[in-house]
Amino acid sequence: MILGDFGTSYCKFLDLDAPNPEPSIIATKDLPQDTRVDLATGHNGKRFSARYVNELIALARGGEAMIVEDDYVLLDCGSRDIKFIRYQNGKLADMGWNAECGASMGFTIELLERYYDLDYSGLKVPEQTFSVTCGVLGMSDIFDTVISGVPVSEAVARFVKGIAINAYRFAGSPARLYLSGGLCDNPLFVGSFPCQVTPLGRFVLLRGLETEARQRRANTLA
Amino acid sequence: MTLELASLSTTIRRFRKIGIIGIPPLDVIRAANDNNLVIHDLDEPLVREDLETASPFLPRVYCAILRTAVVNALHLELDAIYVDTGPGKCDCALHTATILAEALPIPVICTRNMDNTGYGYPLCQAHQPLLDRMQAITAGVKSAAPYDNPPPVSMPTAGFWGVPPRDFSILTLFPETTHIFGWARCMENKTPADHDLEAQFNPLVPTVFFAQSFCAKTALARYLAKKHPHALYLDVDVHTTGSARAKVQAFLELSGVEP
Ligand code: SF4
Repeated sequence: MILGDFGTSYCKFLDLDAPNPEPSIIATKDLPQDTRVDLATGHNGKRFSARYVNELIALARGGEAMIVEDDYVLLDCGSRDIKFIRYQNGKLADMGWNAECGASMGFTIELLERYYDLDYSGLKVPEQTFSVTCGVLGMSDIFDTVISGVPVSEAVARFVKGIAINAYRFAGSPARLYLSGGLCDNPLFVGSFPCQVTPLGRFVLLRGLETEARQRRANTLA
Repeated sequence: MTLELASLSTTIRRFRKIGIIGIPPLDVIRAANDNNLVIHDLDEPLVREDLETASPFLPRVYCAILRTAVVNALHLELDAIYVDTGPGKCDCALHTATILAEALPIPVICTRNMDNTGYGYPLCQAHQPLLDRMQAITAGVKSAAPYDNPPPVSMPTAGFWGVPPRDFSILTLFPETTHIFGWARCMENKTPADHDLEAQFNPLVPTVFFAQSFCAKTALARYLAKKHPHALYLDVDVHTTGSARAKVQAFLELSGVEP
């Protein structure tokens, strides 16, 4: 059974029938159009499978599989949106999905890295930050700051910190959170949160899909 | 018949087709029913016209139900419009009435519905598709007749709190055993200004607290959602977005609510 998480920038796959299932990843722009999977999630998922699990459910199931505590906040920062779930006593207590005001934040971070030829692992978390609510609007702050004489790397770092703080507030300003998504690999982003962060990587939704798939298999056999 | 009722009856007799915004008092509806008037509920999408045609009159960032009402009022040939501007509706409707009164060549009559005799809310608690029940509740505002043969009360598994949404498609996500709360319940009860009834909810079932974006009820919806032990607050503008649908689906599924 092949599972697929079809994101805006990257698609991730897992073949449950492989001897040692390991996730694979491919840029969405390189994805063959005739790709088909047995169970899909993600922004583009419905186009590639007859069976679809919505992203919040996949995220929640992934959290249930990967986090041992009963009380936690799991925040997923994707290319085009941010979403979170909060569990209390092992049960869903709150959730949010911001596809409008959280628009394109992850995408913009990656775009800036390439445009300015930056390496985020070499950037320090800045003292200052921008008040960023949207990737597109935040860009003009960067340009204005650079024009005022601040180095590009500092301006971009302020922007990244602004995005992290915005995502943190969206998730309810917890003292601690688990982070999901490709931005887990960005140390500047992870370090910019004003709380304790445990990165879980970019395959949390895929893990959630795996849980759903196994559950569905069990239900079919029962 | 009181003098007021007599003058209402004399006025309404001159019309054949009226529009309503909000829920005018039962006296108005009764007089319209007695004179066989056609009533259009302007709060619902009735004409195939772009919502943009409301933009010269109302800001784009405004309650989608009232923008819809303006589009209807502009495109339906009506003889008069009754707008409830009392505590059972909102200031947004009051301002819309002022604007329509100037823009249209027909009377725009403001009412203040203080009806407080409850008709009951059997549809809110019945076991039927939520969308069908909400449609029946909204259709009910055009009649003053009491309810016959109310359906039995069902055991609730979920709750929907709020006004009838501009886009009913969100209602298809809920199970048939969803109980309706909030202003929609007041609507069926024919007491739209009953704020105590509006604030009621069932803490024992997972509940979606819904409000139209840019409506003052967003504050009440969010406040009540915080008080409810298992709630999702949601505001939606013109159409139910993919993320709003996904939130409701995920909330119900992760709360263990059977479809
Ligand atoms: S949804 Fe709110 S703002 Fe819109 S008409 Fe109803 S009460 Fe007024």
